[in-house]
Amino acid sequence: MSEETRDRGDGDGGSGDRPSLADQRGVESVYQPAEDSDLLARTARERVEAGDTVLDVGTGSGYVAATLADAGAQAVGVDVSPLACRETADNGIPVVRGDLVESFRADAFDLVAFNPPYLPTPPEQEWDDWMEHALSGGDDGRRLVDPFLETVERVLAPSGEVLMLVSSLTDPDAVRAFASEHGLASEQLASEKHPYEALVVLRFYRD
Amino acid sequence: MKEDLMEIICCPLDKHDLDLEVTERDDGEILSGQLTCTECSETFPIEDGIPNLLPPDMRDEAPA
Repeated sequence: MSEETRDRGDGDGGSGDRPSLADQRGVESVYQPAEDSDLLARTARERVEAGDTVLDVGTGSGYVAATLADAGAQAVGVDVSPLACRETADNGIPVVRGDLVESFRADAFDLVAFNPPYLPTPPEQEWDDWMEHALSGGDDGRRLVDPFLETVERVLAPSGEVLMLVSSLTDPDAVRAFASEHGLASEQLASEKHPYEALVVLRFYRD
Repeated sequence: MKEDLMEIICCPLDKHDLDLEVTERDDGEILSGQLTCTECSETFPIEDGIPNLLPPDMRDEAPA
């Protein structure tokens, strides 16, 4: 999608009392590391050991995966966007184009990290391009959070864990309640206040 | 992709193993080829070094 089209979409949706997603997050085609990726990467880095096999879901530019590879982990990224996959591969990180954890084997990972699209977004503000896909969490912000939590347990090694970044805008308590219904216990590992939201890293593990 | 990726990937549809067929290789990197499910025979392309393991119905889907 062209910049012109994006600008028009942005203008049409500009009646809300929050800044548009574009204004908040920039208008690249691949989501570039920001405060959220950084908080997730720092938190995950403290938990991996050299030799761990880790998966970065929705890897974007590959930033979280690269951080964990730097810590000695065997890190792999997965993204649905062909542009994100290209950028991650060009950054030297093994990457698979795929849908969440569907293309990975059972018990494969010691740690799965996910910085999902989490911004609640009314349908009229969605633009149908890869950047929008990287940002928009749908009506409740959980468009991909819920399917991820329904399927991630299969790929966790016996003592594996999931670290997921969510925003206060995504209702972390509701996310944790949903995970609990699917056999995943949780705790909050980190939290940072930012304009418009607080960023939270949740840890999920088998109950 | 590197060949050791085969140890962690599977068919996204039925989770069975994949067979690797390499068309082009450069150093240790597989640049193009095809992955075929040993169970359902669905094929998945490797293009420009990246395996595309999206289910077939998502391959051509527009974003969002």
